[in-house]
Amino acid sequence: MLGETAEEVLARRADSLALETFEEEVADRLSLLLFRIGEEWYAVRVGDVREIFQEYEITPVPGVPDFILGVVNVRGEILSVTDSAAIMGLGVVDQGVDGVPPAIVITNGPVASALVVDAIGDIAEITNQQLEPPITIIDRQQAEYISGSVYLDGTMVGIINIDRVLEPVVTGRH
Amino acid sequence: MVEFDRSAFIGKFQEEAAELLQRLNEGVIMLESTPDDRELIDRMMRDAHTIKGSSRMVGLIEISDVAHWLENIMVRVRDKEMAYTPDMSDSFFEALDAIVYLTDHSGVNTDGVVDLDGLKARLAVIAATGIEDDEAEAEEQTAAADKKALKKRTKKSKDEPDAAATAVAADGEQPVADDASGADRTPSHEELEHDDLSGTPSDADDQPHRLDREAELRTKVQATIRIRTNQLDNLLNLISEVVIAQIKSEQHLTEVRSMQVHAHETSQTWARIKSMLAALGRTELLEALGDDMNEIDRLLGDSRRDLAEFAKDYAEDTSRASVVINDLQEQGMRLRMLPANTIFQTFPRAVRDLAKQFRKDIELIIEGGETELDKKVLEEINDPLVHIMRNAVDHGIEDPETRLALGKPAQGTVRLAARQEGDRIVIEVSDDGAGIDPEKVRQSAVRKGYITAAEAKSVSDREAQYMIFEAGFSTAAIITEISGRGVGMDVVREFVVEKLKGSLDLDSVPGQGTTFKLTIPLTLAIIRALMLRVGDHIFALPTSSVDETLRIDPSEILKVEGREVVRRQRRTIPIVRLSDILGVAAETVQGGKVPIATISYSGQRMGFIVDAFVGEQQIVIKPLGTHLAKVENVAGVTILGAGQVVPILNVPDLMANARSRSGQKGRHAEQRAEREGPRTILICEDSFTTRELERSIFEAAGYEVETAVDGANGLSKLRDGLAPDAVVTDVQMPNMTGFELTRAIKNDANLKDIPVVIVTSLEREEEKAEGIEAGADAYITKSVFNQDTLLDTVERLIR
Repeated sequence: MLGETAEEVLARRADSLALETFEEEVADRLSLLLFRIGEEWYAVRVGDVREIFQEYEITPVPGVPDFILGVVNVRGEILSVTDSAAIMGLGVVDQGVDGVPPAIVITNGPVASALVVDAIGDIAEITNQQLEPPITIIDRQQAEYISGSVYLDGTMVGIINIDRVLEPVVTGRH
Repeated sequence: MVEFDRSAFIGKFQEEAAELLQRLNEGVIMLESTPDDRELIDRMMRDAHTIKGSSRMVGLIEISDVAHWLENIMVRVRDKEMAYTPDMSDSFFEALDAIVYLTDHSGVNTDGVVDLDGLKARLAVIAATGIEDDEAEAEEQTAAADKKALKKRTKKSKDEPDAAATAVAADGEQPVADDASGADRTPSHEELEHDDLSGTPSDADDQPHRLDREAELRTKVQATIRIRTNQLDNLLNLISEVVIAQIKSEQHLTEVRSMQVHAHETSQTWARIKSMLAALGRTELLEALGDDMNEIDRLLGDSRRDLAEFAKDYAEDTSRASVVINDLQEQGMRLRMLPANTIFQTFPRAVRDLAKQFRKDIELIIEGGETELDKKVLEEINDPLVHIMRNAVDHGIEDPETRLALGKPAQGTVRLAARQEGDRIVIEVSDDGAGIDPEKVRQSAVRKGYITAAEAKSVSDREAQYMIFEAGFSTAAIITEISGRGVGMDVVREFVVEKLKGSLDLDSVPGQGTTFKLTIPLTLAIIRALMLRVGDHIFALPTSSVDETLRIDPSEILKVEGREVVRRQRRTIPIVRLSDILGVAAETVQGGKVPIATISYSGQRMGFIVDAFVGEQQIVIKPLGTHLAKVENVAGVTILGAGQVVPILNVPDLMANARSRSGQKGRHAEQRAEREGPRTILICEDSFTTRELERSIFEAAGYEVETAVDGANGLSKLRDGLAPDAVVTDVQMPNMTGFELTRAIKNDANLKDIPVVIVTSLEREEEKAEGIEAGADAYITKSVFNQDTLLDTVERLIR
């Protein structure tokens, strides 16, 4: 950085500004990863998904909100485990008799969490035109967590509001 | 005077600034799209503040001035006094580029490449955005005053070709002389290079040429690679995974060994069966089985041999890998180790400047500067150390006259020493000053409502001294600006314990001096921890905070005033159940001894009942992940050998919760809650501008403000029954000065509890002394006056 001249600094800045606009323009198509909570279907943008895993061991952590089941060790990295059903007020994800429910690691900038769901579905390709505002009949607690919806094969699919779900958790004094 | 190796830390500043400037640049861009990002605003403010402080420390005043304006703007954005708008970005970028330029050129603004005056004026305009008419007038006046001061400074630096360069030269002489006389070390390339750069005033003409040469030299001697910290962290993360894998291999080896034992037993059993069959003597049966029995013999023999060979190879491989992995871990950790001198060497200059300002004569002795510790630890330890050192200079060491009168040498000594003790680093800051008078602390604690007068009597001297670590508590008889912007000893303590997983101890003998002892783990990544079990959960408790582990008979738990306590060495220790604090299920209590871990935290002891102690071991600290930003009572997690994840407990949280649970809730907290409605401030000031400026500052912060035009006017308002929460007064006023007013307030039984803050342009030590003598609670000089200092000081006094 120290070696850079003012022009270089400005050039780099211009580049990064140009990049952001560019990304917005091509984001006309959207890939969604579908998953099921109870009988309902939801989705996250594929771009927000880092990985999916099935076998893991949750360590409970005291003092966290109900929707945090604990933490897992993913190759040395610690991730929180978020119960998708609990956070949206839809009960809890069925822990199953054999092992644990599948987890989708979702990311939003630096923040990541493993979102446990009842089942993982297909990847759906949609266009931005297919996006609709969230359905209004859902209750208010759930509404915060849904950023939009889309009709797929006669099923209404809610798109998860990743900003809200991955809002950093702070408990206690401070 | 102490040696001051300036060249070494101009380099350090450049390194630090590069990172901060990069972040600020990115920040400005991000702020354009998310102007309300609170975290971003806070970070940018801190970054600007850090640049301001560090550049001032190394004498790059121009950078400090520019950064100061950036910080001011960000402070106002943070306080929602103005909004960040994209049209500010140009000036922001201009300022950042100016800092980049000045940083790269060690503060030398060659041929006025950077339009500093213009830039500062533009920043001042931004900083005044959104201030309403009459307030704007006041602000403008301050800005004008500032500009005048700047002009003066700029003019001065024009007269002497380059003030900064001259300063460099003056300081630069010292190391050169040292190198010439001291044969014990060869000057490094870097030192030569920097000494070269510093030059002498007569070199000023060919400065550009010299800068070119310096750049050339630098590329040639480059023997280091700069790596982003997160890359290094990723690497260390992977190394710790390898370590865990290795521990697993070792466990597998024991499994293989037990397989060998089983194979051996199988062989022996088989041998017995064979001999029994032979004894039966049924030859036709033996003949029929003969081939199969031989086959089993062979198979058993083969598998035993194979297993033995495998076990041998595996054991060798594991032990070879273990040696390599230990080295790998050690080298990996060492990548982040730097000598303590990296931060220590900034202190001689800072202490010299401070001592000068306070008219004290102080020798700073630095020991163990070569002790290496983790870069992260060094970064985190810097601020607490700065604060403790300031404390030592400001409140510890007495002025020369007082010292002589006490029979001490006129020159005070501050010692800063680092040493390694096992897997811990101990840093001590000791002074031979006045020490902490427990009685004064008791009185102050009673006055501020931390304890009652009755309780004060039962507080031991040591406990009293430790009360300086309470939030908002100041050791000083008077608050002066140097004690910092609201960073108290409480913050220092929390920093050391919470962030560094270390401990902070205090040893002070009134009249003889004070020693602060910081014990911190060698690296932030690895600490020793006591593993304990509560119900089904295992938790790790940093050993640095654990006093002792006890197993006591349930009958030894006493009930005192509804609290449970145990007696240890003639002390009463309150106890709580860790399961209650954490809100997890404990085992149903059965007979037998009760395991208790006692924790000491700032002079207070508390026992925590657990279900079992599992053991003590080294653990690798990992954050709770990006999603869980802060979880009460939990500082992080660690991964045990078998891959098990274990939460690490947060000692300050535990202690705070335990105290409130055992009924020792900080009384001041409740008292504060009782206070309803806005607080009132009385401002005594004869200057209309200053009066209205101060009024606007306090009103903006939600205070009700009463004003008086001089001391006599103020005093009569007080005697007429105005009961403000604090008095803020000027010194030089007609009719009655601020000192006279203070004395009158402090001598009036009805008024003496009202805190008095003196705000003045008088800076001389004698005047400050007069302020102290008059009984003022704080003394703020107008030259460093800003609204944060003022508000902060008042808030600290009236809680």
